[in-house]
Amino acid sequence: MSPDARAQPQQHRSVEILAAKLRRRQIVGSRTAALETLLVLRQVVSKARFSNFEQLVEIIRGVGRRLVEAQPKEHSVGNTVRKVLHHIREEYHTATGRGNDETSSGFSISKFVIQGQPRRQVAVQKTEIKTNLKEDDPDDPDSFARGLKPVLMEAIQDVLDELETVYDNVSKNARDHIHPDEIILTLGRSKTVETFLKTAAHNRHYTVIVAETGPSYDGREMAKSLSAVGISTFLVPDSSIFSLMSRVNKVILGAHVILANGGMFAITGSLIAATAARAHSTPVVVCAGQFKLTPLWNLYHEHGSLDFGNPNDVLGFKEGDLVDKVEVVNPYYDYVDPELIDAYITNDGDHPPSSIYRLLKETYDDEDNEL
Amino acid sequence: MGSKSAGSAKEKLIDEEQEILQAVVLADSWNRRFRPLTTNKPRCLLPICNAPLLDWTFESLALAGVQEVFVLCRSHSGQVKKAIRDSKWSKPGSGMKIVPIMTAKETFSPGDAMRDIYTRGLVTSDFILVSGDLISNIQVDEVVKAHKERRKTNKDAIMTIVVKEAAVGHRTRSMGESAVFVVDSQTSECLHYEPVFGHPRKKMVSIPREVLASHKDVEVRYDLIDCSIDVCSVEVPSLFQDNFDYLDIRRDFVHGILTSDLLMKNIHLHIAKDGYAARVQDTRSYESISKDILSRWTFPLVPDDNYPGGTRYDYTRGNRYLPKGNSAVLARTCNIGPNTLIGAHAQVGDNAEVTASVIGPNCIIGVNSIIENSYIFEGTVIGADCRITRSIIGAHATVKDGSVVERGSLIGDKVTIGPKANLKPFNRLSVAWKESLDHSPAGTEDGAIEADDDGGDQTLDEEEDEDSDFEDIEAIQDSLDRSQLGPNSNAIIWPNTPPEDEDDDEDNPENYRNQRFMRLAEDVAVEHDYDSETSDSEENVGVSARGGAAGQASAVASDPDKEFRFEVVQSLERAFAEGHSLDNAAVELKTLRMASNVPLSRVKEAVIGTLVDKIPLLEEGGAAQRKEVHTIIARWGQLLNRLGGQDPVETITLLQQHSVSSARLSLFGQVLAALYQHDIVEEDDIQGWHALSTSRGDHLGPGVEKDDTRKTWLVGAQLITQLAEQDSSDDESDDDESEEDAKTGPSGPPESESEEETDDDDPPSKPVGVEKSGITTGEESSEEESE
Repeated sequence: MSPDARAQPQQHRSVEILAAKLRRRQIVGSRTAALETLLVLRQVVSKARFSNFEQLVEIIRGVGRRLVEAQPKEHSVGNTVRKVLHHIREEYHTATGRGNDETSSGFSISKFVIQGQPRRQVAVQKTEIKTNLKEDDPDDPDSFARGLKPVLMEAIQDVLDELETVYDNVSKNARDHIHPDEIILTLGRSKTVETFLKTAAHNRHYTVIVAETGPSYDGREMAKSLSAVGISTFLVPDSSIFSLMSRVNKVILGAHVILANGGMFAITGSLIAATAARAHSTPVVVCAGQFKLTPLWNLYHEHGSLDFGNPNDVLGFKEGDLVDKVEVVNPYYDYVDPELIDAYITNDGDHPPSSIYRLLKETYDDEDNEL
Repeated sequence: MGSKSAGSAKEKLIDEEQEILQAVVLADSWNRRFRPLTTNKPRCLLPICNAPLLDWTFESLALAGVQEVFVLCRSHSGQVKKAIRDSKWSKPGSGMKIVPIMTAKETFSPGDAMRDIYTRGLVTSDFILVSGDLISNIQVDEVVKAHKERRKTNKDAIMTIVVKEAAVGHRTRSMGESAVFVVDSQTSECLHYEPVFGHPRKKMVSIPREVLASHKDVEVRYDLIDCSIDVCSVEVPSLFQDNFDYLDIRRDFVHGILTSDLLMKNIHLHIAKDGYAARVQDTRSYESISKDILSRWTFPLVPDDNYPGGTRYDYTRGNRYLPKGNSAVLARTCNIGPNTLIGAHAQVGDNAEVTASVIGPNCIIGVNSIIENSYIFEGTVIGADCRITRSIIGAHATVKDGSVVERGSLIGDKVTIGPKANLKPFNRLSVAWKESLDHSPAGTEDGAIEADDDGGDQTLDEEEDEDSDFEDIEAIQDSLDRSQLGPNSNAIIWPNTPPEDEDDDEDNPENYRNQRFMRLAEDVAVEHDYDSETSDSEENVGVSARGGAAGQASAVASDPDKEFRFEVVQSLERAFAEGHSLDNAAVELKTLRMASNVPLSRVKEAVIGTLVDKIPLLEEGGAAQRKEVHTIIARWGQLLNRLGGQDPVETITLLQQHSVSSARLSLFGQVLAALYQHDIVEEDDIQGWHALSTSRGDHLGPGVEKDDTRKTWLVGAQLITQLAEQDSSDDESDDDESEEDAKTGPSGPPESESEEETDDDDPPSKPVGVEKSGITTGEESSEEESE
């Protein structure tokens, strides 16, 4: 049985296709990447053959390794795989009826802090039927897989549902964060922040200042989109972030990756904005889905993790004389220290940077940190 | 539920093969610019930033969504095939099918390769044609989409050339081989193409007047990098097949299509504003593209991201790329400068300095050595205290202690130099031929090099060719200063002197002086005045309009004209003598016309002239003369229509002009009648001609010429009246002395109105008689006439 199981993970066409797409940057954006990963995982699991739980975990991990290796900078891929593993374990434990005590005892302290996790309860109810699962059945090696698969599918579906509703869930408390007649500064075009601000605009009247966010100038799109729904919006050059900061009540940023230490990677310019905000004691709030939580502490030591892109955006390639003489760097992300951030707003409630590590422990299993 | 069905729909999308995008890679360069590095390795397998060029090309194509690739390999095809088989592309799930195609050794040019593609019938739909040394991150699939869209409305848009915008003096832009593009700014149609070489210098670009006349907005661009990505329609290979003399895709094919008004095909230009694309076409561009990759202009095709090679690299501050997992051994005191790539398991000794260079895997750099702007391939050992500047050093070479390699040097695989070698700039070294054979890998059953396109020894087996090349070089070794190589060197020196035996063809970019513009580290200051000339405005190219339809004859002067005329006569003489078919004769004339680049009217003129002159002038005249006229016109008259662009009125005018200026004035009437009979001209055409003021000779000053013109015009008038009467009257009139009459008749009244003239004058009616009887003799035509 085991060689069969081993043959499974590598030979999945869809995995290779996704890996190639990630590598070639044909799929960009944390959420898109996470969604694609989930779809691939679902395919893999539905076709996988395994006779015990370890084999299943190994199959999923193999896929995860392949995808993460293809594009190590798209952390949401690895996070999604971890999350799926976590859910599957949970389902497995409830199905076999021996998991509950383990989880509750293991996370007793964090449970004290974290409020609601409605998903978990739902999952428990769904899977009560499966009790007669038998691993490594010599007579019918597929029986375990057959029995578990519907549960697995549901677990993946849960993650998928969470991802699909992530923007709404992040924004559900938007009105509590933005007060009437406030001036908000934001950067770039994060879909999460955009939804957040638009949701807040249903109840509140406020002003948004959008920095252009060179060299991508995503801020322009953001400003257009916000003003289209009737929010009073100003588009300002990046250079005026500091001078405007004294008037700003709150800085709201998006994130690419949230690290275990509470710091984050976000679009270039975020560090400037956060530092300026600190100088003016303006609160900095980060809106992000839970799938951006990454169990890494020291990513910021790696210079390359800033994702240096094409200098073409900064200095046109056709500037022939300069190309030869000037070194142009175009980092896509900034690393923002945890000290510069006041709060994270996630689809799983609001957290200070200092408690991100607990959230991580809640969300993923420790053994999956290294896929 | 809903998401489940969405998932399955997605699956279907992946599996569904709509229309697969094909690409053809020409994995041969057809030149020898990289020698001696390419003596036993094809150029497309040379590493750039430690990954073979071909892999970069495949990755570029994969980025553009290409699904099927045909790799056309010629030299060292065994190696190429092996490389493809061993690469990650041949693994399942790579998403791209790569098919190596071995082409014959006799494929001497890209044109031949295209003909080969045609005969093999490889491509089934629009395809991307690239060379095997391309590095690009342009989304070519979008260009393909635009190309297909254009094809829907215009079937003649056969090709879209992708070019990259850059400045004139850009490092990645080839100095030795560039071009001026004339493009319609609205339709982006390429209107004119003119190749530009570094030498001979081009100060003037001629743009046909028609181009400027027929398009409102025209851009003249001299700031484009031609990265030779062509989106071609299926008929492109067949066009190569039809035009067997096309060699180069740009200089012959594009130029040929654009200047031909027979083919009536269009070529479009896609000027890429974003993205990167360039070709490693010479050692100079090898350097600049290496630098572009290291400074991440090719993103995501960079060593730490979507790198085509196997090794993974870490990106560190200052564009320094180090292999993942710390496999390189860097001494604590060594100095790795910016823009440097260090290969896996390389070692850099104490106090060594490596700046802006690429060090291959398993290389060893000795203590205190300085390496600047150099490219060192796999497994090479550099001793202590060496200095290497702007050079390329092949794989498994050894540079022993204390050696100095000056800029522009190319050192072949397995060469050993030093200790204390002192290479002069632009030295090229390789090992001796026998030795290079012994060590060449098993895959090179045809371990030969790329043959040059202009050498006379093409028919020789390549290996022999290469062998003899080596022999030549080895023979002169004694006369060279070998002391610079240091003791015990196994190298032979490749001379840098211009070749004496071959005549340096300046129309070919491979001419010796032009080669210097493609050399690594060559000082461009040679062309200083050239730079200043063009630097003030990137599009400031000398533009001069070439004579269009009207003014060309007088301007271009008669010399080439005469020559052309002579050629036509020759060609027709041959056709007459050997009894060619009309089609063959027409093809020959078309070719001649394209070769000499003359307008259609001139060909016609020449053909008419030759035909008329061909008619033997008989003393007795009359029926016998008529018979002669008919034999000639019946056999060859249709040729006039096959030349393309039928304009019978022009035909008559030309006939008239010729008759007037030659001794065969008297035959005009008969020839015209014969043309009419054989349906080469219609009655309407004759009337149309007749109505022209020029045919009456009004524009001419008084003199013989005017008189003669007038005469012919009157003859024509008679023919018209006669034709009008034809239906009713069937009477036969005798004809003799027609030409005598024709001559004397019209000369009488110098100034008179046309209608009256023909009615009144008797003598001119005689030629009409000739006409009529002529009609009755031709059986088929007479039947038609009487209907």
